[in-house]
This record gives sequence, C-alpha cells and structure tokens, in this order.
Amino acid sequence: MSGYYKALNILMKSPVTDDMIRFLTNTTLKVLPQCSYPTPPGSPAKYTSKLPSLMSFISRLVRHTNVYTSTLLVTACYLNRLKCILPRDASGLPSTIHRIFLACLILSAKFHNDSSPLNKHWAKYTDGLFSVEDVNLMERQLVQLLNWDLRVTNDDLILDLRYLLEPIVEDIERTSVQRKKLYRHIRLQKLKQQQQKQQLQLQSQLPRNIACAGAGDHIVSTKSLEHNRNASVSSDLSSATLVSENSGELDIWNKSDLPANPISRLPSVSTIDSFDPYGLYRWQYEQDILLQQQGY
Amino acid sequence: MSSFSQFKQLEKLGNGTYATVYKGLNKTTGVYVALKEVKLDSEEGTPSTAIREISLMKELKHDNVVRLYDVIHTENKLTLVFEYMDNDLKKYMDSRIVGNNPQGLELNLVKYFQWQLMEGAAFCHENKILHRDLKPQNLLINNRGQLKLGDFGLARAFGIPVNTFSSEVVTLWYRAPDVLMGSRTYSTSIDMWSCGCILAEMVTGKPLFPGTNDEEQLRLIFDVMGTPNESTWPGVSSFPKFNPTFPQKLPKDLRSILQIYSKEPLDDTLIDLLHGLLQLNPDMRLSAKQALHHPWFAEYYQHP
Repeated sequence: MSGYYKALNILMKSPVTDDMIRFLTNTTLKVLPQCSYPTPPGSPAKYTSKLPSLMSFISRLVRHTNVYTSTLLVTACYLNRLKCILPRDASGLPSTIHRIFLACLILSAKFHNDSSPLNKHWAKYTDGLFSVEDVNLMERQLVQLLNWDLRVTNDDLILDLRYLLEPIVEDIERTSVQRKKLYRHIRLQKLKQQQQKQQLQLQSQLPRNIACAGAGDHIVSTKSLEHNRNASVSSDLSSATLVSENSGELDIWNKSDLPANPISRLPSVSTIDSFDPYGLYRWQYEQDILLQQQGY
Repeated sequence: MSSFSQFKQLEKLGNGTYATVYKGLNKTTGVYVALKEVKLDSEEGTPSTAIREISLMKELKHDNVVRLYDVIHTENKLTLVFEYMDNDLKKYMDSRIVGNNPQGLELNLVKYFQWQLMEGAAFCHENKILHRDLKPQNLLINNRGQLKLGDFGLARAFGIPVNTFSSEVVTLWYRAPDVLMGSRTYSTSIDMWSCGCILAEMVTGKPLFPGTNDEEQLRLIFDVMGTPNESTWPGVSSFPKFNPTFPQKLPKDLRSILQIYSKEPLDDTLIDLLHGLLQLNPDMRLSAKQALHHPWFAEYYQHP
C-alpha cells in the first residue's frame, strides 16, 4: 500500500493533465447515468443551445481558476459519494451534470484551501452559463445532499483515484527494482575489484601469459557495467520528477548487455566463485520479476 | 435536521469571527443552546469558514469540544446549533480584574482548565484536525468548571496531500514563531504554542506576548524565550520571514517573569511544562498527548 501513498503524493503535486480532466468527466457522467445520453430534442432548458460539453466545461474552469491539482481531484471523492446517495434512476436537466461538477469543485476549494474564489467569481468562470444565484443554490443543495461530509482520507483518495494512481505506482515499482539492481551491480563491482586485486597479486607469482588474458577479460566487463550504471542513474532521476515516460531508459535495462542465451549460463556456486556477473544478474533479475508478479 | 421554529431566540451572546451568537431555547426539549447565525452573502455563497466548521465539528464528539447539534441552512441564513456554555475564558478572567490589576486564576483551577484544554486539543489532533485559533475567547466554560474548545472557523483537516496552508492564521498574540516567520508546513505544534500562551495567561491574568504587529510579536517572543539561531533551532534561517538582524536576546527566566503576577508560588513542574509548550522550534514543542503525561498533571493521570 505504501506505493499508493507515494503515488498519491506525486499525483497531487503534478500539473493538471488532459487525462485527469477526462477521468473527472467520466466520473461525473457516472453520477447521473440518465444524463450521459445525447440531449433529447425539445428539452425545455434555455441554455441547451450554448451548453458546452462537460469536458470542455471542466477544462475551461481549470484554465480560468488555475485550480490546484489536489483541489480538482478531490471532486472525484465527492462525485462518488453523491452517486451512492442519489437514487439509481435519478435524472436532471442536461446542465445538471455541469452543476454537480461545479458544486463539487467549489466545495473542495472552500474546504481544502485557506483562500478560495467567491461564488460570484465561480459564476463568472462559467462564461454566463450560470448566475451567482444558480451557483449559490447548487452549492447549498450539494452540501446538504452530502450532509456536510466533506472530509476525505488518504484511503478515500486512493480508492477514488486508483485509475490515475496505478501508472504511477507501476513506475515507482519499476524504479525501485532498478535501484535494487543498481546496488547489486555496485556490490558486485566492488567484489570484482577486490578479486581482481587478489588475482593480480596471485598473477604476479604466476607465468606471464595467463595473467594477461585474465586481466583483459575483466576490463571489458567492467566497462559494460559502468555503462549500465549510468543508464540507471539517469532513469532514476527522470522518475523522481516523474509523470514523464521513461520507458526508453527502461529499455536499456531490459536489453542490458545480457548474454544471448542466459539460460545456458544459469549461475551455480561455481559461476559466482568465478565472477560471472551476467549470470548472477540474470538470475536476480528473474527473481525480481517473479516477486513483482507475486505483488511485492 | 431541525427547523428554526423549534428554537426560541433569546439574548445576544456575542460576535464570532463571521457570525452572531444568540442564546436559544429548544422549545421541544427545554434545553438551552447557542445559535450561531451566519448571514449568507450572495456574492460569497456559503462561507468556507462555516463549511469547515460544520464538516469538522459534526464528527468531533468529546467532553472538551463544544458539541454541534444541528445545522439549519436556508437561502439567506445558516444557523449552527451548539451546546450552550455559560461563559468563555476571556470574559471569566476579565471579570476577575480588580481595579487595573489583572488577577491570575488559582493554580488549582489553572491546572484543571489546562488539563481539559490539552484533552480537547489531543482529541482534535488524533482526529487530524488543527484548531488554528486557540485563545481564551474560544475556550468556553460552564458553571461546573468544564472547559471546551469552540469556534472552529479557522480549523483545518491535515494529513492528506491535498491541503495548502496559509500562515495568516491564529490570533496574533497566540501565533507560533515559526508561523510568524511564514511557515506553511506547520502541523499540530501550531496549536501547542497557543496552549502555552494560554497557560501563562491563566497564571498571570494578562496575555504573555501582546504584540501589535508581526515584527513586534516576534520581538516580544524572542525577548523572553531568546532569539533563535541555527544552533538552537536548525533550519530557522530558511523561514521566509527570518531576519538575520533580529536583536540577539538570551532566554530569560520564565518563572521570575510570571511569579510577580501570581499570589501562589509557581513550582518547577509548571515552569517545565510551559517551557515544553513554548519551544521556539516546533519540532521540539510538546504534543498534547505528551503534555497530558507531564508531571504537573500527575494528580490527574495518577488518580483518574
């Protein structure tokens, strides 16, 4: 679960994305399934002609108010609460879903921020769609429907925002696997260097031609390890600022410089003893995948 | 949900931060209540203070927090129906002023009030709520000596990565030094500083740090508690309003400052508790729960 808490912190600090707006649009539409169909002909509402789609309505509010991501996303909790409260066959005017979303956003802003816009400002942000009286009414009705229950917990947020959190959680998991691998590499490298030193000491007592061959081998493999380490450091950094796709860097990891047929080189005690980092690495890598699949 | 006709409105009790409070009588039960009336401004809609006060207090049920019984919400008026309390700590202390000399309360009573204040604060903090405006006016008392936290108009929930915090909170005299220096990452320690100021005020009968503006407030605090620096409070210089030219003061002896206003001798444990609550560094300040286990309260937790 700690992955989700971390992801929640990251999500709340990232800028508002189209994906978030799409997600909130869908969440709002689910509150009143009856309203999600196209406007039936002959609807009496006076604003049907200029009623924007819910998604562009939400985008416009976000743009006008420069609302915090966190304030915006808490609306998902209120929308889901409302869905549970309303009767399943509840319906409304075509603009009802717009009202519901706006009222949720206003309550979230007033509850979670020390300063927030007045309702007359909110009315202005709707570009004439709603008057301040409309806004006051929708706010009053919503807060009564929700029975003033505006607190949200981390668990509420994780449950209601899981669609947005899952990709971040996956990213965090991938990064932590990478980090573990990186540490293993560094440990291995240190061991290898020690071994090299020992070998060099030994070699000084051995015939010359054998010593040269051994040392050459090690230099090549150390270089490729160096390359891997740099790659993983840079991907670590990019996931710290996150949200950006770092699959490209991940590829470097997955491709690695693994031997073409690692299975044939599955490690045994003897390969560890003889310092075959790829074999060992491959084995640990597969363990990680296994662990990941088992949900660790 | 009750309707307004259920209550008979009696005399005015006072003006809160954003409302007028009347004494009321529940006509069906015969129980007195406090009716807090919030005029709804058509430009603002429902004030955020009311929204927070209601949604936070609704769930807070504790002997040392004023109970919110009900809410009556109409088009132009919002009425909060609270448990009735006879007085508040400020008026009670003012009523004891003789001539021009403020009088501290008897130390036994100070201890009983402070214990209840700590209980109420601990309960709020356990429920992830910061009061952010603790002061004698907001501590309501009744004729049985009970003390309860009231006026949650500035209160906020904490503990979720959603909130943005303002440093323009808490009445100046009771505002913590980290908040005065612009901290926006405060937590429960913001209330604990106020509790320390209130304790000293109950002992002496006069406010501990009665500043008139932010700068003077900090100066009054540092005059008594000493001017902080990186060695006494690591990280202090990175606060937005930290001023390296603050006059450098050494901490004064709190006991001698307070003793002149108290008729009873102030014992070591009381002074030690005050020091714990009035730590400049918020990380070093006692929590409400820790304060409840302080030796000064030994008689309460040893004989419940």
